Amino acid sequence: MPKLKADKTRLLAVLAVIGPGIIAASAGNDSGGISTYSVAGARYGYKMLWMMVLMTPAFIIIQEMAGRMGAVTGKGFAALIRERFGVRPTFVAMLLLLGSTAATTVAEFAGVAAALELFGVSRLFSVPIAAVVVWLLVVRGSYRNVEKVLLALSSVFIAYVVSAFLAKPDWLAVGQAMVVPSVVPEAGFIALAIGLTGTTIAPWMQFLVQSNIVDKGTSIKEWRIARFDVMAGALVANIVAIFIIITTGAVLHPAGIAITDAGQAAEALAPLAGSYATMLFAIGLLAASVLSAAVLPLTASYAICEAFGWESGLDRDWSEAPIFNGLYTFVIFLAAAVILIPGLDLIAIMLVSQVVNGMMLPFLLIFMMVIINDRRIMGRHVNGKFHNVLAWGTIVVAIALTVLLLGMTVLGFG
Amino acid sequence: MFYLTQMLGKPVVDAAGETAGTISDIAIATGEVFPRVTSLAFLGPDKTPFMLSWRKYVAAVDDDHVALNVNSADLRFSYLQPDEILLHRDLLNKQIVDTQGMKVVRVNDLKLSESRNQLRLLGAEVGARGILRGLAPWLERGVDRAMRVFGKGLPENLIAWNYMDLLDRDLSHVQLSVTHKRLHELHPADVADVLEQLSAAQRARVFEHLDNTQAALAVAELEDEFQADVIDDLGSQRASDILEMMDPDDAADVIGDLPYDKAEALLRLMGVEESGTIRRLLGYREKTAGGIMTPELTTVTEEMSLEQVIGHLREEAADSETIYYIYVVEGDMHLTGVISLRDLVVSEPHTLVGDIVHRDVFTVNVDDDQEDVAELMSKYDLLAMPVVDETGKLLGIVTVDDALDVMEEESAEDLALATGSSRSFEASDAWSWLGRKSGWVTVWAVLGIGATLLLSLFTTTLQEIVAVVFFVPLVIRLAEEISSHSLAVLIEAGDPEDRPPFLQRLLVDVLVGFGLGVVSALIAFGMLEALGESFDVAVAVGGAVGGTVLVTTAIGTLVPYLALKKDGSGWRAPSVLFSTGLAAIGLAVYLLLAAYLKTNVHL
Repeated sequence: MPKLKADKTRLLAVLAVIGPGIIAASAGNDSGGISTYSVAGARYGYKMLWMMVLMTPAFIIIQEMAGRMGAVTGKGFAALIRERFGVRPTFVAMLLLLGSTAATTVAEFAGVAAALELFGVSRLFSVPIAAVVVWLLVVRGSYRNVEKVLLALSSVFIAYVVSAFLAKPDWLAVGQAMVVPSVVPEAGFIALAIGLTGTTIAPWMQFLVQSNIVDKGTSIKEWRIARFDVMAGALVANIVAIFIIITTGAVLHPAGIAITDAGQAAEALAPLAGSYATMLFAIGLLAASVLSAAVLPLTASYAICEAFGWESGLDRDWSEAPIFNGLYTFVIFLAAAVILIPGLDLIAIMLVSQVVNGMMLPFLLIFMMVIINDRRIMGRHVNGKFHNVLAWGTIVVAIALTVLLLGMTVLGFG
Repeated sequence: MFYLTQMLGKPVVDAAGETAGTISDIAIATGEVFPRVTSLAFLGPDKTPFMLSWRKYVAAVDDDHVALNVNSADLRFSYLQPDEILLHRDLLNKQIVDTQGMKVVRVNDLKLSESRNQLRLLGAEVGARGILRGLAPWLERGVDRAMRVFGKGLPENLIAWNYMDLLDRDLSHVQLSVTHKRLHELHPADVADVLEQLSAAQRARVFEHLDNTQAALAVAELEDEFQADVIDDLGSQRASDILEMMDPDDAADVIGDLPYDKAEALLRLMGVEESGTIRRLLGYREKTAGGIMTPELTTVTEEMSLEQVIGHLREEAADSETIYYIYVVEGDMHLTGVISLRDLVVSEPHTLVGDIVHRDVFTVNVDDDQEDVAELMSKYDLLAMPVVDETGKLLGIVTVDDALDVMEEESAEDLALATGSSRSFEASDAWSWLGRKSGWVTVWAVLGIGATLLLSLFTTTLQEIVAVVFFVPLVIRLAEEISSHSLAVLIEAGDPEDRPPFLQRLLVDVLVGFGLGVVSALIAFGMLEALGESFDVAVAVGGAVGGTVLVTTAIGTLVPYLALKKDGSGWRAPSVLFSTGLAAIGLAVYLLLAAYLKTNVHL
């Protein structure tokens, strides 16, 4: 039966390139992201859903551009920045990337601590163990194995969708909020909007998806299939985000419960939506945090070594790639150690990491736009008009929001 | 010497002294070993790009500007020719890859040199120095000076242009030209130069492309400090094959630098004859005639006719390092004279060796200093020097190539002495020794400060229960003991297959840790009770000590076990880092546990 055989080859071809996009996007729904979404839902109900809907195509297109750059050039984003813009802008970009990655990794371990404390495990045990587990996952597993583990972990995100249904939201109101824009004219709303942008379109995700595509050796021919993986990953990630907002918007907002992070959100769900919702929420948070805590330091390590021409790769040992191995080890254990400092303001750290992410985003997107429209680099795969308009729109909005946030911070609002 | 990153942006000044623009790029003509700069690209007023011929218009170039020889109005602009490439646009910041597409390094800067009024590209700077210079020149100078304090300046890491290759002007990658094809065309000494530039992993990859003969030649040409490393990295069978192909004196040199076990293993893999020869050579002291001689030589006896000698040479010459001198012996290799290849060729075939032999042979004793040997050879213009023992028995010859190496080596040492830098040489050695040591001192200091900070977080705990302090030294000491013990276990086991299976080890370690923990907890508890501390405090501190012992034992035995790579290449991360890290973890666990138990457990 040739038809069936053709289908089978096609399926195999699809399976061969699937993964990078889904992982990159799932890693984006990390501890900081889940917190932001939960807070958005708890504080403003469904009012922010329309932003998520608007951001989805922007996110999809930015991820697609990053993936396309990887497939066409066979190089990571950091390498392209270095080659197109020289050493000084690269240095600044890598410094920002390292800083935001380290801060976000701290947030991931905070997520691990929060999730396991819901099950009664002290962070004194959970965080060191999680750090060692994450480190071993990175050091011991070949990239393929790591990827399989990560894929398995990302399927846990279905937990949020289930949570949302258990919360029994008013689906009509949800649908309405998705299409009708509404703004609450207060500083907190704008700050949260920036946080939402920063965590949905986190800059390191572009580095991650592009290096994953390069690592898989996806050629421009296979890109036709791989781009679906990248775009579907982005779409699924945002759908999960939307369901988180629906969950907390349906349960916590009407009850008027104020929360500041995901752990509290999960806890607050119990009396209102049943303990299963809490458990699912906590499991999702744990998986997200572990996934991102493994992926983030690795991404920064890859990008920085690539930018400066240092040996990198999980198959290199310490003597061959000392900087690569040193960087992710340093970031993982530093982040875990920070969590163990008693009396630390974790919310502040999460906020700082999101602000750094938000401020980095426009610069990186501008770098990306210059590169992806450069025919010397991209050949005939430069951006189309549609891509350019949407991407520049995102950049303008991101810059406007960042300037707004900075202005508000300076003037003492928020 | 010019660097591209420093030239970019410098002004272009015309003959009238007016600034015509700023340098934006420089073009070279490909196809030369060290290509000439052919064109200058600069940005004129309003950022208008211009390009002009370097040969026609550039009068001079220095660190601050490029001077043209005509006025701006008289310039005739040109276009980029097909064989030209732009250094900034096409080369700077690009990745240099080897043939397998493996990443190697990035072009951080390009080094140019002026010779006879022409600027030529020397090669690509790929080290940290180029990155720092690109960021800011003062940064490069600052780091260089800082490193000089520790005896060693910031090294320049240059890949010469003749080793680089542009793939049919697809400029996305610069290819390192150590391709398998080109490797074979390079002289072994050049291959050795390339190998010294590469990391261990890349070196191994290059070796895959060399056959044993080529590899042997290349290894022989490597600097001494690399030889042992390279052989050490190769598989034992391959390494011994390569050593077998080398001249025995060179092979003995390499083996002499290897650790005893590895050397023994390699010698055992070799043929009996080869290993015997090398073992004999290893018996002679370094830096003596015996240490640099080769035992492979051709000998004849006085009774042979020249015709027989030539026949003998045809059969034996393959194994000899030189055949310019043919040594005449009698009995058990007793040297009586020498004939040269010249004598052999100009004399009648039927003449006997005894008729033309020169009996006044220069010889050196096997214990003579290698420098004296080289001097004698240089003084009398000899291509080889026979080495004899006290009884006049011929043991081997020192050939001219080894003598040249000796002279180079010795002259470097003499130069250091002569220029008075010997003192600073020693001083800098002391500094670098201190630098290496102080690296760990620094780590310790940082960890110490960290521990203090850690302690400061627990001031309330510490004030409440002063007894906690009693056991801080114990906890740190314990962590060190555990780490050194577990490392020793692993190193002794060596081969991964010899190690006990993971689960069994896990079980044993957890049990041992648990036992140790219970015992130390009881001791701590007992001591504190005896000292008259309250029951709560004794329970908290005792529990903390016990828990810490259990945790550090578990981490200390399992982490290195899991982190070791399976190739059996051994423990790569520095053990000191591990033990200090474990001490820090132990301390943190101890304090946190004590604080936790004190506040939450009331009996």
